Amino acid sequence: MIDGLLVLALLAPLVPRPPSLVPLQDTTKGKAVYVKWCAGCHGDGGAGDGPSAAHMLPRPRNFTGAIYKIRSTASGQLPTDADLMRAIDEGLPGSAMPAWKGRLSDGERRDVAGYIKTFSAFFADTSQHAAALKFSGEPGGGTGAAALKTGRQFYDSIGCRKCHGDQGRGDGPSAPTLKDDAGFPIFAADLHQSWRFRGGGSAADIYHRLRTGLDGTPMPSFSDLIDQKFLTDEQLWRLAQYVRSLSPPDPPEVRDVIHAPQIAGPAPVSPDDSAWARADRYWFPLVGQVVRKARWFAPAVTGVWVQALHDGHTLALRLSWDDRTQSPDSAWLGFEQRVLETVAGDDSGPPKAEPWPDQLAVQFPRRLPEGSGGMERPYFLMGSETDPVYQWRWTSRPRKSVAGLARGIERFDTLPGALAGQASFDHGEWRLVFTRALATPDTANEVQLEAGRAIPVAFFGWDGSSGEHGSRMAVSTWYFLALDRPTPPGVFISPVLAMLVTLGLGLVVVRRARRRGTARAGRQR
Amino acid sequence: MTAPALRRSATHPFWQAVGILVIAYIVVVWVVPLLPGSAIVPKSVVLQYMVTVLVGVLIYVSDNEERWARFKEPIEAVLAEPRLRVVRAVLLVVVTALVGLVAYGQVATTVAAPPNLRSIHPAPPAEITFRGRSITLTGLENPLRAHPESLALYLAEGKGVYYRNCLPCHGDHLDGQGHFASGFNPLPANFQDNGTIAQLTESFVFWRVAKGGPGLPREGTPWNSAMPKWEDFLTEREIWSVILFLYDQTGWTPRTWEKTGTGDGGRGTGHD
Repeated sequence: MIDGLLVLALLAPLVPRPPSLVPLQDTTKGKAVYVKWCAGCHGDGGAGDGPSAAHMLPRPRNFTGAIYKIRSTASGQLPTDADLMRAIDEGLPGSAMPAWKGRLSDGERRDVAGYIKTFSAFFADTSQHAAALKFSGEPGGGTGAAALKTGRQFYDSIGCRKCHGDQGRGDGPSAPTLKDDAGFPIFAADLHQSWRFRGGGSAADIYHRLRTGLDGTPMPSFSDLIDQKFLTDEQLWRLAQYVRSLSPPDPPEVRDVIHAPQIAGPAPVSPDDSAWARADRYWFPLVGQVVRKARWFAPAVTGVWVQALHDGHTLALRLSWDDRTQSPDSAWLGFEQRVLETVAGDDSGPPKAEPWPDQLAVQFPRRLPEGSGGMERPYFLMGSETDPVYQWRWTSRPRKSVAGLARGIERFDTLPGALAGQASFDHGEWRLVFTRALATPDTANEVQLEAGRAIPVAFFGWDGSSGEHGSRMAVSTWYFLALDRPTPPGVFISPVLAMLVTLGLGLVVVRRARRRGTARAGRQR
Repeated sequence: MTAPALRRSATHPFWQAVGILVIAYIVVVWVVPLLPGSAIVPKSVVLQYMVTVLVGVLIYVSDNEERWARFKEPIEAVLAEPRLRVVRAVLLVVVTALVGLVAYGQVATTVAAPPNLRSIHPAPPAEITFRGRSITLTGLENPLRAHPESLALYLAEGKGVYYRNCLPCHGDHLDGQGHFASGFNPLPANFQDNGTIAQLTESFVFWRVAKGGPGLPREGTPWNSAMPKWEDFLTEREIWSVILFLYDQTGWTPRTWEKTGTGDGGRGTGHD
């Protein structure tokens, strides 16, 4: 028996086993890994209270309660070892939890999963152990109109819209009341950003969350509705597929240069103009302003979609971004106060919630960069006292757009003259179009939008109902805007010439080869 | 293709040449990037390699009169044989179209982002002013290392400083992939990489932390860096303690100043 075990132990490293079957055991080694890599957020005692926790929303998991959002088990049950391994290996997208696969060894990750179970007595009690639910396979046709229609029908009938909103951007009537079990404010997920779903963004991941619920949050399990015959398993799959259809098929890829094609008609001034349907969309991620006091660690605007068109005289720039509210919105003041109290910053105490508006800023240098490869530009974070930036700023209340010079975060001086901006709010999405003449008289302060140049551009966003104002904002780095010129016919001359020459040479070579071949054949004859 | 035909091709100099070129292409484009420490081979370099291989192949096939004649056979056949008229026509059209496409790609310009050239480790100043106090960087060691009995305490302090301040960008694994990293360009420094703190003295790291992006010289592209000027947030001791933590957590040892006496002997070792 002992010999047999020994042989097994020696063979064990040679036999690949699925990670879920490998016991999570060595808690001494696991503790060392935990203390070194996890305690900074999750705390030495596993209570989710490490030094960085106060800067995070959502907060790091508190392991002492053994309540886990992302599981394959029924609501209220402990997660399986495979569930814990998945969270460690893949991380939790949209939160601060990174994927540890490739960062820690297989053994280290298994050991640390074993160790985090020691923070709660529930895991020691084998009667509490739960098996993964039996999940059905995804039915086909999930992107078809009929499937999505069924999905949408259940989206409405089982109450998803109460929190996630009519169009799924997390703006439902109950959204401002949401708290997790620890009392922290929690956002209903924006279903248009599946790449940020904690448990993964595939239709299968969404179906699993619908079956298991997200324990510790207001998101319930819908497995009981199947038991009660309110809907079938396939209909729940259709709902998952509908939710999946709200996001782009692939996570947006960040491209450095926004290309603004030249169009024949006048540049559109309205965000709902049909001309926008033909313009490419560019995604730019925004992150918390963590460079200057007072820093902001929980940015609500996670990115902007940008489109650009010009007509040779005017540039139209369309920005759209998800925002749960048309701030200021008194229904969200309580939520805003809870966010400000939860997310620590540089202020001595939490700031008081105020009815701040939503804001968006687009930033350019005052002049196009010259010399040294055109690299030099003002400081990305709103310029500086000596080297200001030219910005377009829009606020939701009062609803207006202004152009001006920013000299650092604190100082903004409006330039004379109005800036054309038109915005609409639709079910959790702001759509804003700025239009401006390519050339303006004030060449010293207002960037001249020359076609064929890489024009540096950056974006800033504020959600007033999340307490964002002033330096509490979401920021981007410098990107570029290029106004494309229509292809001049001269461009086609050299390719056509090259083709003619190639063809001519080819024919000459063939003719000579054939003549030689005939001559040789003649000689041989 | 039947087996004898295949064998005939394998010994034919023309098909051998084609085979060598195909293998060379596969190796350069797909195999080389798989080697540890390599990257994708740029197109211009691929072209150079392929031209070199082609020249080598031509030298080989033309080295011997008979081999050269056999090598030319299939080429002349395609050019002259009446039965290969269709192959000939297709080849002409394809080559012409390719030339047109390449020529168009050369002349049709599209606006690209300007090159982002920056000095990753610019030369540090000999001296900085930290909150009004002058600190000489040249020859400076981490003062906390002079108290080995308190090192554990300093490390714990540094860990707290890191998790409260550095984590969103530099990440849990100190590899520059924090949850805010994707929003910035250049990406936050990867301390696990052997090209960052492993190459630097602690005084250099102190300068970079204390003065941040705005304190970079022009060649460091200060306008792009999201590194805060930490002297606005942290005390001198907090910065030295977080530097201790960076080296301890990653396992690197800081570069030390060469003992070359006075003057500039040890200054700027490797900081370029």
